Amino acid sequence: MTLQPAILIPWLPALSAGLCGLCCVRKSWRRLAAPLTIGAIFASFLLAVLVSPAVKPFDPAEPDLAPHVVTLFSWIHVGDFRVDMAYFLDPLTLLMLMVVCGVGTLVAVYAAGYMAGDRGYARFFAGVSLFIFAMTTLVMADNLVLLYLGWEGVGLCSYLLIGFYYQKPSAVAAAKKAFIVNRIGDLGFALGIFLIYSTFHTVSLAEVLSLAHHVEEPTTAHLWIPFLLMLGAFGKSAQIPLYVWLPDAMEGPTPVSALIHAATMVTAGVYMIARLLPVFELSPYALPTVAIVGAVTALFAATIALCQYDLKRIYAYSTISQLGYMFLGVGVLSTVGGMFHLFTHAFFKALLFLTAGSVMHALAGQLDLRKISGLRTRMPITCLLMLFGCLALAGFPFTAGFFSKDLILADVLVRGLSLHQPLYTTLAVVGLVTAFLTAFYTFRLWFRVFLGPTRYELGDEHHAADGAHAAGHAADAHDIKIEHVHDAHEMPWLMNAPLVVLAVGALFAGLFCKSWLAGLVTQSSAAAAAAHSLHAHATLCGYDPHLAMEFISSAVAVLGIAAAAYFHWLNRPAADSVAARYRGLVSLLNHKYYVDEIYDALIVRPLRALGGLCFVLDRLIVEGLVALVGFLPRLLGLGLQPTQQGALQGYGLGMAAGIAILALLIALALGT
Amino acid sequence: MNALIPLMTLLPLVMAPVTFALLAYKLNWHALATTLLTLAISIAAAFAFDWKHADTLQLVTVWPWISDFGFTFSFGVDAISLCLVLLTTFLMPLAVLGSFAAIQERRREFFFWLLMLESAMLGTFVARDLIFFYICFEFTLIPLFFLIGIFGSTQRLRAARVFFLYTFTGSMLTLAGLLFVAWHATGGSGRWNFDISYLTAAAQQLSYPQQMLVLGALLAGFAVKVPLFPLHTWLPLAHTEAPTAGSVILAGVLLKLGTYGLLRFALPMTPQAIVALAPYIGLIAVIGILYTALICWVQKDLKKLIAYSSVSHLGFCVLGLFALGSNLIGPTGSVLYMINHGLSTGALFLCVGMIYERLHTREMRHMQGLAKVMPVWSFFMVFFCLASVGLPGLNGFVGEFLTLLGAYTSPHTLGQPYAVAAGFGMIFAAIYILYMVGKVVFGPLVLPPADLHAPATTPAGPAHHAAPKDLNFREIVTLAPLAIACLALGLYPQPVIDCLQSPLETLTHPVTSVVQAQMSAQGPVTAVTSEEKNLPDWPSDTSPLANPGDAEHR
Repeated sequence: MTLQPAILIPWLPALSAGLCGLCCVRKSWRRLAAPLTIGAIFASFLLAVLVSPAVKPFDPAEPDLAPHVVTLFSWIHVGDFRVDMAYFLDPLTLLMLMVVCGVGTLVAVYAAGYMAGDRGYARFFAGVSLFIFAMTTLVMADNLVLLYLGWEGVGLCSYLLIGFYYQKPSAVAAAKKAFIVNRIGDLGFALGIFLIYSTFHTVSLAEVLSLAHHVEEPTTAHLWIPFLLMLGAFGKSAQIPLYVWLPDAMEGPTPVSALIHAATMVTAGVYMIARLLPVFELSPYALPTVAIVGAVTALFAATIALCQYDLKRIYAYSTISQLGYMFLGVGVLSTVGGMFHLFTHAFFKALLFLTAGSVMHALAGQLDLRKISGLRTRMPITCLLMLFGCLALAGFPFTAGFFSKDLILADVLVRGLSLHQPLYTTLAVVGLVTAFLTAFYTFRLWFRVFLGPTRYELGDEHHAADGAHAAGHAADAHDIKIEHVHDAHEMPWLMNAPLVVLAVGALFAGLFCKSWLAGLVTQSSAAAAAAHSLHAHATLCGYDPHLAMEFISSAVAVLGIAAAAYFHWLNRPAADSVAARYRGLVSLLNHKYYVDEIYDALIVRPLRALGGLCFVLDRLIVEGLVALVGFLPRLLGLGLQPTQQGALQGYGLGMAAGIAILALLIALALGT
Repeated sequence: MNALIPLMTLLPLVMAPVTFALLAYKLNWHALATTLLTLAISIAAAFAFDWKHADTLQLVTVWPWISDFGFTFSFGVDAISLCLVLLTTFLMPLAVLGSFAAIQERRREFFFWLLMLESAMLGTFVARDLIFFYICFEFTLIPLFFLIGIFGSTQRLRAARVFFLYTFTGSMLTLAGLLFVAWHATGGSGRWNFDISYLTAAAQQLSYPQQMLVLGALLAGFAVKVPLFPLHTWLPLAHTEAPTAGSVILAGVLLKLGTYGLLRFALPMTPQAIVALAPYIGLIAVIGILYTALICWVQKDLKKLIAYSSVSHLGFCVLGLFALGSNLIGPTGSVLYMINHGLSTGALFLCVGMIYERLHTREMRHMQGLAKVMPVWSFFMVFFCLASVGLPGLNGFVGEFLTLLGAYTSPHTLGQPYAVAAGFGMIFAAIYILYMVGKVVFGPLVLPPADLHAPATTPAGPAHHAAPKDLNFREIVTLAPLAIACLALGLYPQPVIDCLQSPLETLTHPVTSVVQAQMSAQGPVTAVTSEEKNLPDWPSDTSPLANPGDAEHR
């Protein structure tokens, strides 16, 4: 078995994207888009499985590129700057491919039902296909520039799909924000690539890893590289300070939120750091910075999630928070933990988003937690499916999230205890507090939505804002199948079947996939660190820290769920009275710490004002110069005007004086 | 075969007066056929060209002119010229096609001047005689002056005047500089030779102060043409007022005359002055990139926004051009940027022109959410915006990435701070382009009030403009080749890059030698500086530190 078929993994979805684009042209072709996309993504998934026996472990210490690289064609070669359209496969790539294409297939199947009847049906699937192309390119890239192509490509798809309902101003604004904030991170990434090239004289991933691995004495340039790359990771994976785009990104259709903004794209930053771990180890401060930013983001986002009312936004902040955990894991060299959490998170967060989508679908766009209650009787299957997702997110014992989160926290603790660094111990505590908050806000949502008295208000729009808008136009009216949404209803099995698969993953992926996944990660470049990460000789009050952490985090999760049950199921007035007592805090959290407003006041407005100032200046230059050109001759004329008054004596005098001077000059010239 | 280049250059010139003899309904097709034929000849020339020896002058034809003064009509191309020729001949039919509906009055003159312009532009790129080059270079002004002055919008006369004054003043100084080089080359013998290769070789004898003088004179004309901040102010005005085809050609080709001039004359003729001034020119380029990008963000007129974005983009082009000394990454990126900018910005101007034909306004507040009524146009608009913003996979990225990387890895002329500062241009570009897309393409549908310019065809009844029709077949045919070219050059730019290497090597060689000479002079000093050791920015095999004796080995 060779790696050659792997070339098709990104290009099949690309082909499908082109065909879906063609499907936009005719109405009767539109329904072809879904099968095309599902087929292409699933084929990519199968290909990934197919080539997996041929994928060899990669060790940066003794790199042997040949078995890992498949070259398609040369992209940009200038002198010794060589960038190929080439794909690099090692077990880490394989893991990411399975996650991306696996979740991608499931979400596409769900979306085939969810998006039915939308005017932009084919456009939606073209976007999804293009996204899978970009994302698979990102994870398979053989060099940093191709990785950058995927990196910006997923950003583009994110832009196009967040702005899918392009007639909603909020969606357009959110899409724009996502792209621009990501661009800020991307600039860091690009500069990181420049610095890598000028330091290592190559951008090939395998060569860079191997060179970085063998660096004896890091120089200034080496120290800077990780920090520049980190900026890119923080942008794409929505970490402080560049996290602000992700909550707004929920304006996109829910399947997009599930696929791009929960399961795959936003984890690209984690993947990038894990992939380039030897590079990040060049600087002694880089990984601790990653860990601190991850932990702080996790806590910060979790507190915001406590006081949000929008279903999808709660999940968005929860995604930011969980990504924080992954960064924390990678930051303490627990790449297995970080990637494991990435893996399990893909299942349960996609499940949560898609079930939230079902609720939204059923309630005609209603997402406000205050207006939904007791849906269990109307949507029993969705209720159960979301419960599984919530349990995994809350880290309930023996669910997927429990194992992966626990691994990260235990590794943080081990590092803190065995190195006697209070920093890591503190981070572990922060992680535990966040775990409690996570359990609380997750079940706050679930209890509110599904338990309690059955009472809900339908939203004011069909889920397809575009379609609803179009309904007003007679020409388009027959174009949309308005499903008769008079009441909350259960989803068809086309949409629920992928959810069942995800739910199985959310419940059992932790229990059964851990050793398989750890094997994959430790056989890749991310293992360079895992190999010399610390072995647990430390103890926590006489217990093995891993075991101790399992008990502690179970207790924390159960406590959080219990608290949520009390306040949001059994005694809802108590929650209201607590909220009333801390009105200021609740308002602060509800307004997301006013970060958007602060950014707007400190960066956006001054920059735009500067733009206005430049424009005024520019106008002045052009007006000024033109005026000057016109003005100079007139000034000359004005200066000479008094001499031209038509007085004959004056002219005569002038003439005489002129002749006299000339005569004098001639005389002088002749005399000498 | 040798007659291909003069044939291509002169064909539009010969066909231009024919417009006055034709029936009105044949005018469009006459112009289209002429430009297509020119394209065909240029493609034939590309096939006749030996790409293996891309840096040598090929397809040379020399016709005597005024032999007493050494004037000749000499034609010939190297790979860089040929690439720009192909860009020109590729854009011209599309510009003509895009003008079919836009120009309704005085169409004879319009196509006459357009064809004259094509000849002048092609002449500039293929001229191998200095005087011939200069005449073509200057002659581009006259057709464009009339195109703007007759067919422009409300402020067209002022725009045409400003455009002419700015560029003409600058190029007078350029002529003086070039004549000085030619005079110097005579060595007092009185035998003038205006062959560009000869002059380039002879210019190596210029002393450092003379080089500074010549470079200053060249910059005066070429920097206005590029246009480089702060001499750019004529461009937004000219673009806004010009008819669509004029804007396409202006952005697509005419601005490249400036960068082409710098590459063809300034770099090889005045290497020492270039090395000395490059940091300052780079600084100006970076300021221009950021300054104009910010200005784009506050524009209200669609066309003005794209015009300012052109200035910002050309800043990258100049930045790459002066990223010299270590490698060819910067200049390669710069030439690619010229081509890519011509394609994507030309296409954007076509897109805007199509909107103007329908809505009779370019004010962004009068239009929003056009994706709803014009999905095909929106697709193209977004596509070209993404190409312009440098999305990897499309053409803009390759040039932008290489110019920035070149600036980053050329510590002798530019260096890291330039790339970092210019990199913010990437962010600003995303801001202003998405601002525009968000305003015009997306959002709820808004159409201008019907009585805005009150075209006779609009019924007086509705308060708003009737919903515009989506692109017709002709317009799709106009935009599709550009889109395909953008995608192709984004995914597979390698053939173009390959053919640019050896001519760029030749053109930048004098500068590289100067840098290497300076390096070997300073070599022992820098070797012990720890900071320099920490940042080895040039490849070690070309570094004189590795082999100090080989500094002049080229």
